[in-house]
Amino acid sequence: MIHRRLLSSCAVLASLAAFPALVPGQDLLPKGAPQAAPVVLHNATIHTVSHGIVLGGTIWFDRGVIGGVLPAGESVKLPADRPKPVHIDLAGKHVFPGMISAHTSLGLIEIGAVPQTVDTDETGELTPEALAVTAVNPDSAAIPVARQNGVLAALTFPTGGLMPGRASLIQLDGWTNRDMTVRADAGPVVAWPSTRAFGFRFRHRASASPANDPSKRARTNRQRIDEAFQAAQRWFAARTSDPTIALDVRHQALVPALRGEVPVFVLANDAEQIESAVLWGTERGLRVVIVGGREVRACTELLRRHDVPVVLDGVHRLPRREDAAYDEAFTLPRDLAAAGVRFCIATGDEFSNDRNLPYHAATAAAYGLDPQRALAAITLHAAEILGVDDRLGSLAPGKDATLFVSDGHPFELTSKIERAFVQGRAVDLRSKQTELANKYRTRYRQAGR
Amino acid sequence: MRAQPALATVIERLEGTLATNALRHAQRLHQSSTVARKRVNPVNSRTDATYAPAMRIGKTVVLALLASPAIAQGPPHNGPRPVDPDWFALQGARVTTAPGEVIDGATVVMRAGRITAIGADVAVPDGATAIDCTGLSIYPGLIEPFLPTDVPALDDDATDKHWNPMVQPQRSALDGALVPEKEREQLRALGFTAVAAAPSGGILKGTSTVILLDEPTAETTPRIVRDRAYAVASLQTNRRGYPSSEMGAIALLRQSLSDGDWYERCRAAVARDPALLADAPQPSRVLAAIAAQRRLPLWFDTRNELQALRCLRVAAEFGRQPVLVGSGMEFRRLQALADAGAPIVVPLQLPDPPDVSTAAAADRVTLRQLQSWEQAPSNSRRLLDAGMEIAWTTARLNDRKDFFARVRDARSAGVTATQALAAVTTVPAKLLGIDRDCGTIAVGKFANLVVCDGELFAAATTVRDVWIGGRRHTINEPKDQGLDGTWAWTAGFPGTGTPTLTIDGKELTVTLGDDELKVTGVDRQPAAVTCRLQGEALGEGQCWLRLHREDEGLGGQCTTTDGRSLAVTATPAPPAHPADEAAEEAPDAASPPPPPELPTPLGGYGFVELPEQQTFAIVGATVWTMDGRGRIDDGAIYVVAGKIRFAGTRADLPELAADCVVIDGAGKHVTPGIIDCHSHTGISRGINEGGQAVTSEVRIQDVVNPDDVNWYRQLAGGVTTVNQLHGSANAIGGQSNTVKVRYGVRHPNDMFFVGAKPGIKFALGENPRRVNWRSGEPNRRYPTTRMGVEALLRDRFAAAEDYARRHAAYRELPPKERARVLPPRVDFELQALAEVLARQRWIHCHSYRQDEIFMLCELANEYAIKIGTFQHVLEGYKVADAIAKSAVGASSFSDWWAYKFEVYDAIPHNGAILHERGVVVSFNSDSNEHARRLNTEAGKAVKYGGVPEAEALQFVTRNPAIQLGVFNRTGSLTHGKDADLVLWSDHPLRYAAICERTWVDGRLLFSLERDRELRAAIGAERHRLLQLALAKGKQRHSEPGDPKDAYWRAEEYSADYCCKNDLGGRR
Repeated sequence: MIHRRLLSSCAVLASLAAFPALVPGQDLLPKGAPQAAPVVLHNATIHTVSHGIVLGGTIWFDRGVIGGVLPAGESVKLPADRPKPVHIDLAGKHVFPGMISAHTSLGLIEIGAVPQTVDTDETGELTPEALAVTAVNPDSAAIPVARQNGVLAALTFPTGGLMPGRASLIQLDGWTNRDMTVRADAGPVVAWPSTRAFGFRFRHRASASPANDPSKRARTNRQRIDEAFQAAQRWFAARTSDPTIALDVRHQALVPALRGEVPVFVLANDAEQIESAVLWGTERGLRVVIVGGREVRACTELLRRHDVPVVLDGVHRLPRREDAAYDEAFTLPRDLAAAGVRFCIATGDEFSNDRNLPYHAATAAAYGLDPQRALAAITLHAAEILGVDDRLGSLAPGKDATLFVSDGHPFELTSKIERAFVQGRAVDLRSKQTELANKYRTRYRQAGR
Repeated sequence: MRAQPALATVIERLEGTLATNALRHAQRLHQSSTVARKRVNPVNSRTDATYAPAMRIGKTVVLALLASPAIAQGPPHNGPRPVDPDWFALQGARVTTAPGEVIDGATVVMRAGRITAIGADVAVPDGATAIDCTGLSIYPGLIEPFLPTDVPALDDDATDKHWNPMVQPQRSALDGALVPEKEREQLRALGFTAVAAAPSGGILKGTSTVILLDEPTAETTPRIVRDRAYAVASLQTNRRGYPSSEMGAIALLRQSLSDGDWYERCRAAVARDPALLADAPQPSRVLAAIAAQRRLPLWFDTRNELQALRCLRVAAEFGRQPVLVGSGMEFRRLQALADAGAPIVVPLQLPDPPDVSTAAAADRVTLRQLQSWEQAPSNSRRLLDAGMEIAWTTARLNDRKDFFARVRDARSAGVTATQALAAVTTVPAKLLGIDRDCGTIAVGKFANLVVCDGELFAAATTVRDVWIGGRRHTINEPKDQGLDGTWAWTAGFPGTGTPTLTIDGKELTVTLGDDELKVTGVDRQPAAVTCRLQGEALGEGQCWLRLHREDEGLGGQCTTTDGRSLAVTATPAPPAHPADEAAEEAPDAASPPPPPELPTPLGGYGFVELPEQQTFAIVGATVWTMDGRGRIDDGAIYVVAGKIRFAGTRADLPELAADCVVIDGAGKHVTPGIIDCHSHTGISRGINEGGQAVTSEVRIQDVVNPDDVNWYRQLAGGVTTVNQLHGSANAIGGQSNTVKVRYGVRHPNDMFFVGAKPGIKFALGENPRRVNWRSGEPNRRYPTTRMGVEALLRDRFAAAEDYARRHAAYRELPPKERARVLPPRVDFELQALAEVLARQRWIHCHSYRQDEIFMLCELANEYAIKIGTFQHVLEGYKVADAIAKSAVGASSFSDWWAYKFEVYDAIPHNGAILHERGVVVSFNSDSNEHARRLNTEAGKAVKYGGVPEAEALQFVTRNPAIQLGVFNRTGSLTHGKDADLVLWSDHPLRYAAICERTWVDGRLLFSLERDRELRAAIGAERHRLLQLALAKGKQRHSEPGDPKDAYWRAEEYSADYCCKNDLGGRR
């Protein structure tokens, strides 16, 4: 039995190695093959997130779905009609649910400074019709880079303007963007205007003209956002009773949010922004998710009362004010947890470094957040806030087999991710970057040095 | 022979006319012609004579100024010459002749604009107008030492000008309209009698002129006291060109001063040997002016205390005598400024109260702003207590009228009356070099006087007259000419009895016994009052009353409604209420205690006293020595006097000194201080001098900002040494600066890592090509391609070689022969590059792509120089061998990529591969945020390339130390090295590692314990100051960026131009 298992695991490795050598450029790797046979992972430390840590346990999945997580010593009962399972011995290894990067533009940008490769910002300030997943490039080189560190799903955002469009939740493997889609319309994005001008040079110049008064501008723009939702509401009501009323793609895009089927992702960092956004959303009956949350400490009571969750834009941030504590941002997750606010942690970084997601949670853990809670903040809690905890975020039967195997805790910088599965598909953990490393190591080998 | 005559003329012209001498000469003539003196009856002169309109200087009546050279130089006179005696005697005043020197009941005699006599028993000359000043005070006329004045810029078409429009030293305030009458009037109203008008705009702005402030007339031009009092400079930047940064401004200033000196030396050489003229510099008014200004003090118009220190540094380099025009924020760097000792002209503007109108607004107010606001009034007191010479200026006040109020603020903070007077009289006179003519009331000096009715600057005091060069300017008529007081109405009362009249300004009361008459319609003139009376004492009637002063009492007319007209007489009566003498101020009675000593820097994390160099040992910790000994478990480290005495296993620990503090290191880790090889922390006003493609003349050293709180935050991440780099906007950028994070030191220079290898920033690829700029402006600057970058570097290296050769040849000449040739010009741009070629300065080169990296390697090989580091070097892994051969090392990000095209091939394995190929690799931050976590960044070298842990940790300790040429001093825990070290709570590569303590030179500059205490202290201090700000509740709140506010103006000039985002990153 053990022998067979070892053979099988060798087979998986061999199939990985059989991929052709890569030329740097876009992602040239084949995507993961659909799960043909059940996979059983043995002897691992299983971090279920939802049900604690199972030492030396077993986890198995089939047809892309987790079949069970079993404590040490219990044996797996697989369905009889399935092909022979692949057994993998993971002694000394760890299994984690795939991490979810909850605020990124992954797939929409290839190179930040090359406008031709940036597909995030539609013309106009109110463009809720723009749907992120439509423009996700499945062959973006950034996707395997994020994936190789265990980030297996991402909420990718259009950007720019007041309502840049709708965010989409993607999983980081798939031949097409449809394959990658977990939830196409995860919710509209609203950049809630700030009453504050940024940077003192700005402020000075702005105050020269009353039209540029940031608080006035914010008021006007907030009204514009509100009007967009109200107009959609009126349109929807009219169209429901009179189907001959023409389609308005802008209004149509807001209907799921108006009906409470998806949340509204409100970008807000200032306390005033957060507060007014929550009150606005509550009044309009919208499910607000605050994204950013820099000054969220000042609003915890309001957020808790209205059960508004927060996507924290990174933990690695500088303090807001010169005399604020140096670790102000590091301890924010700890304080939110203590205040009973629901939150998850995103990177707040560029799309290209979503792979550093675990290190944000790690710093939160170093600065007082319970490490289990910190792990949940980049897995289960993210899934809950995005409304996909039935599929992602923890290792439990019935959920997608989107998980990874590592030689240590992903918080540790020195840990390496060894395998990853997206809906049971074994995905390639190589990337443009690993192949470039191999290519140039080859150069030095060729030179005999 | 083209230059010599022109040169001589220019120099002569600049040595200038001397109006002052001419005046003095005229005065001597005048004195000798005056012989007779006679007493004037003082009684008759009392009121009418004193204030007779005909005697006043007004719009219509002009007193001729006999023998005034100004007139002699004026146009021909139209009609007969007016010959009116212009001598005056002010009698009976309390005269403060100089700060702290008072003569009571003195007479001041002036003629022809000068003081001829002063004293208690001085006779009034015949024909002099005697003016009774009994009860009044006379002070020396105030002097405004710094009044920025518009002077027309040189015409663009002008031929003889500096290539950079910021350098116009040849200008003089005299080229402009000097001081407009409106401003003169404002200044006169405050008692100012002389002003130094200084040209504004530019870096070297020209020379200032001291003039008297009297009202100009058709026949007088401004009276010049000193035509060139000082040269003015500032660190102004140029939004549209060079210099675009503060360091660029300093570089241009430095080069210009140097050029002036060089021009002078060339001129001297040509004078010795006319044959040298052929190769001598072209005649230049600009350079001649700079050279001539060596004889003048150089005044620096500074915007904050750090700029002030920077200017002093440049002045010292060129042996200039500096005077600082300050910002009012000098108290924040008091000790450093006091050490330098240059006089400071202090503006009295105070910051507006911070905006605490809403909770959100208050939340954004920094402690530094609150502290600056609270302490600003004590600025002058602190400077004086530190022994500094200060003058005051009205410059920078938003409303000049506030000057006295601000003086009173300074007085309340403890500036004495004598110090206050000196700051507006004797000190400015001395600084302007006019102390023979102005500043005190003394024989021979200008008759510049302030006549007022009380102590100068006191709130209740009114300035009556200001005498300027013997001309009287009435500022305020006396409010009362003898009417105020209590009088007995002895005749002319329409009713019966003797009512009592009390007049107090516009208040007039009439009482008869216990009854008070109703007084309405009071119309008060200085010497007369009219009103209506009504009351039972008058029966049913009313009457109109008119009163004026007559003899010792009052006279007037009382007209009743029944047609009677009675002549009124009133005699003095004893006052009903004795004057409340106690209420008067006792100004110097109780000087307030010295203000509290402030931490450096302000803002919450500074030190009042820098911590001592502790003798301490950490015992039982895991010690990462970074000197090849790997990881030592159960180790120990022993520090004495800022140096590492021992680092190794606990078993080998030598005997500790008796005063040694022993720290239990069980479970903890010790590493050398983290070294960040690429940082832009603490650089004021621009990390790029983007105005030119080659800016090797600019120096980060010139603009170190020790106040940046990011220093403290980085200490909290274990960082102890930082390479402050110029940005990457140009192919050859500025000189870099290695500092130790000695947060809290007195002077910015104290942060410098003395002994570090000098560095310079180069940049290759997209940034110097400027392809990522989205300004919309067409890019016209060379280079636009990588080809152009290479050609430009090659060209400048060649130029630097020539330069070095020329200077070496000159240096090698025997001194005698050296005097026979023209000295070569010092060019700071080429000098820095010559240092590179001489291997005295290392290049730190911003680079990404392999081709550009390879190019610079080849160029370096060609010139046989070693590159210090390739910075970023994200494709370094492709050409690791070339780097290993040509550079000391490579300094990279751990894993950034894809933010622009040239970093699309960046890989996180870069560090590991370079390391494998024998390159000394460091990981840097290039970000205020990342800098705090470099230990874990190093962990990524383990993750992405399998670098052993101890070697990965060297990426942020030993290796950057080597790259900066400081490994002999820091970067490892080795006997004899500086005690720069960090105590971590955990394995330093682990996420859980928290920096618990950071020592720099054995000084504990960060500890979690102190940080906790500071948080509490900051909270308490914010609480106190926010309360104070709320209590002020002033109308005007300053907003960030407000150029009219003293705090924000100073702040703008210390901040970094870059917008700092949360992540603090730039690259």
